[in-house]
Amino acid sequence: MSNRVVNVLAAASVAGLMFTLFGMSAGTAGAADPAEQVKDRQQTMKKLGGGMGAVAKFVKNEGATAEDAAKGAEAVLAVSKMDPKKIFPEGTAVGVADSAAKPELWKNWTEAQKYWSAVQPAAEKLDAAIKGGDRAQIAQALGATSKTCGSCHEDFRVKKN
Amino acid sequence: MRRVLTAAALLLPLAFAGGSARAAGEAPPNGAANDAVSRGAYLFNAAGCLGCHTDEKGGGQPLAGGRALATPFGIFYTPNITPDPVNGIGRWSDADFIRAVREGVRPDGAALFPAFPYASYTRMTDRDLLDLKAYLLSQPAASTANKPHDLTPPFSWRFLVPAWQWMYLTPGPVPDDPARPAAWNRGRYLVDALGHCAECHSPRTQLGGLDADRYLAGNPQGPDNDKVPGITSSKTKGKGIGGWSDGDLALFLEAGLTPDGDVAGGAMGEVVRNTTSKLTADDRAAIVAYLRTVPAKE
Repeated sequence: MSNRVVNVLAAASVAGLMFTLFGMSAGTAGAADPAEQVKDRQQTMKKLGGGMGAVAKFVKNEGATAEDAAKGAEAVLAVSKMDPKKIFPEGTAVGVADSAAKPELWKNWTEAQKYWSAVQPAAEKLDAAIKGGDRAQIAQALGATSKTCGSCHEDFRVKKN
Repeated sequence: MRRVLTAAALLLPLAFAGGSARAAGEAPPNGAANDAVSRGAYLFNAAGCLGCHTDEKGGGQPLAGGRALATPFGIFYTPNITPDPVNGIGRWSDADFIRAVREGVRPDGAALFPAFPYASYTRMTDRDLLDLKAYLLSQPAASTANKPHDLTPPFSWRFLVPAWQWMYLTPGPVPDDPARPAAWNRGRYLVDALGHCAECHSPRTQLGGLDADRYLAGNPQGPDNDKVPGITSSKTKGKGIGGWSDGDLALFLEAGLTPDGDVAGGAMGEVVRNTTSKLTADDRAAIVAYLRTVPAKE
């Protein structure tokens, strides 16, 4: 019982800390220079990819534990809840630092936003599947989440060399 | 618990099934249906017809053509392959269809430009070609007129295409290699005939033929001038998939997810969406089995 309370408290404080950190970085993003914003985006995408990769490793049975997968899904879910305007501020298209975002992303912002908002429900299902523990369902949810990432990469990301 | 996990793993779409006895050029049963149209639907996905023959971005009807393919030789506009009798293939006979896809010759006798990957599709069996035709003819017709290509001479000179064909086209299916397992033969058929992977993943000569010495070794100047990575058995990043596990490859083909958690975009994202995600797990495993044996090119 007391263990549980400690855990909840710890989780709450970690969440609080992350919120503060995130809040701060979001607060400074407005004033940050575009190159910095591109770097921020790359960090965000890395976090997203790290989360996806962890779930994938679990699905492939390549050394990740269920706990790793759960953490991965949480990271994906957390990023999916971010405001796309903060991740993709205007003026950070290809040409700025090593940005890989096509200018079309801003020209078709409504579509891009639609793509982005499809990630969260998929990530929620992924999170739920991992909590459910059924590997086949996790694999399916992982594929579905990948698809939501892919639609945006297909239309709005320049080819990585 | 462990047993439950193992059982669940067997149900995974990623699970690898053992070898099967069917010949390479024979569509697997698609669910319960096993008529020409259903088999053709599977082949249609495996051959990736939809992507190039649909102007998705321009809001074109499926298979009505008009998609621009930017290549080093100019811009090709894909034709209408719906059953429309005037602008599509509605009036084509079985022989017309086989000749077009296998030999790159239109019903009126003119040569087709090799942007249409008939140098790969030529390996399709008669039965698969006719199943594919049955499927195409079951689709809604669109009267969209075909748009002329915008090519740079001499590549725009259609009368030169037969010379190209003489150099780069070896018509007809390739017999199965009896020394190899069925899965390998099936994988080769999926990679070389249906999937036409080499069309983007191999470099081209100055005349636009596939460079056979650099088979699947990557293409510095792929479609839309994108750099296309190699997919030989090389372990070097960007040159091959030798460093990927079977699970990595199966998951990539199924969901576009790379080992580092990235998701494919661009042309390969489209291939995953339209083709490899729609194959059976057996067929994806066959592709992997075959790619493992492609000699490394650095």
